Amino acid sequence: MSGGSARSLAKGSAPPGPVPQGLIRVYSMRFCPFAQRTLLVLKAKGIGHEIININLKNKPEWFFTKNPFGLVPVLENSQGQLIYESAITCEYLDEAYPGKKLLPDDPYEKACQKMVFQLFSKVLTNKKTTFFGGNSLSMIDYLIWPWFERLEVLELNECVDHTPKLKLWMAAMREDPAVSSLLIEAKAFRGFLDLYLQNSPEACDYGL
Amino acid sequence: MEDATRTFGKGSCPPGPVPEGLIRVYSMRFCPFAHRTRLVLRAKGIRHEVININLRNKPEWYYTKHPFGQIPVLENSKCQLIYESVIACEYLDDAYPGRKLYPYDPYERARQKMLLELFYKVPHLTKECLVAIRCGRECADLKLALRQEFCNLEEVFPVVISSTAFTNRKSSTPSGEMENIFFHPRSITLKILGYQNTVFFGGDCISMIDYLFWPWFERLDVYGIADCLNHTPALRLWTAAMKQDPTVCALLIDRSIFLGFLNLYFQNNPDAFDYGLTC
Repeated sequence: MSGGSARSLAKGSAPPGPVPQGLIRVYSMRFCPFAQRTLLVLKAKGIGHEIININLKNKPEWFFTKNPFGLVPVLENSQGQLIYESAITCEYLDEAYPGKKLLPDDPYEKACQKMVFQLFSKVLTNKKTTFFGGNSLSMIDYLIWPWFERLEVLELNECVDHTPKLKLWMAAMREDPAVSSLLIEAKAFRGFLDLYLQNSPEACDYGL
Repeated sequence: MEDATRTFGKGSCPPGPVPEGLIRVYSMRFCPFAHRTRLVLRAKGIRHEVININLRNKPEWYYTKHPFGQIPVLENSKCQLIYESVIACEYLDDAYPGRKLYPYDPYERARQKMLLELFYKVPHLTKECLVAIRCGRECADLKLALRQEFCNLEEVFPVVISSTAFTNRKSSTPSGEMENIFFHPRSITLKILGYQNTVFFGGDCISMIDYLFWPWFERLDVYGIADCLNHTPALRLWTAAMKQDPTVCALLIDRSIFLGFLNLYFQNNPDAFDYGLTC
């Protein structure tokens, strides 16, 4: 599983070749919470993948042939099929690859996770189970996690002080192997953010 | 039509539990979002009952079905509630046997969901155009924006260079090749999301994505903005093909009744929602 800490590709870079058989490629950016969703699912399901980081402040021209919106994450498989929009990529991976299913099989339970995803903020106060999908970690937790990870880094954890269940959830999430293997180092994230807010094209490669 | 019943308003009694073997949809006869769900119920032959809600005078009990009182909502005999029109449609496809409206292939499923992303501004824009026209306001900018969205959807279809394109599509040779039709790629969107030959958004047969788009296209004429399709021939071909679908036809809303509803609605008349009912 290569490329997570590789320099990003920017304007003027050569387009990457086809995706080797047996792997799926994700176009990503190290600090993007949407792309992190896809990385979490790839990790959680043990899917063999390669990562190409994109410089979002100085995008390669060829990247728009992968996603007309020019956003990460994008999946590309060895058949040249492209999938974009983070939630769509996550669901595609769950359906296309074997192993533990992250979305429930039951149609109603699956619909509930999707309703929860839509009503994100309402659920924060009404949450009754340990994880957002029940008593064990599932898709909805991975979809929500990236924003909470960043709260801590940005020292905005006071937001969750009045919701002890949420603090417990965050602690439980940190124990998950997929989550802990992808945790962003606080200083690196702050360094990235400083440069990003200055519109620097170096932002995406901060720390490399 | 199954949904030709009077609305429930404030002060009405809550309906009882849903009988076994049925699913209930809370709806409103003229709502495009609920229309999606009714199309799927019909297309899959799912036995259902419809309860229409008076959206300007909502029953208090309705907030126990949806936190903001929106439609559509599905309720089954296990008292499970499903809302958001797209989620409800997918639930029905998953939970009920028979004809699958979403493809089986994970990539094809993902493709339909990506196509849906191309559509997200259309509901808001069509509504804004309707309101502007009904209030006697200028809406050239809104119509331009809507035309642009339609152009984006048009790009999913290959450019067809043949005056008999539609007939030829239906009579392809046994080897699968199309006669007298030349396709050329229009854009990147086509390269990512398009097919070589397709009448509908999901391929040669109607599928979920077509039903999810349809309600707004059915309303263009009665909203007074049918001319927004002037520059999108493939979309016009698609609308013609949709109007031949038995499910679409069965639920087609009578034009004069729709206009009657709109007149009363824009006069803020709470009886608007029951316009055209004989009982």
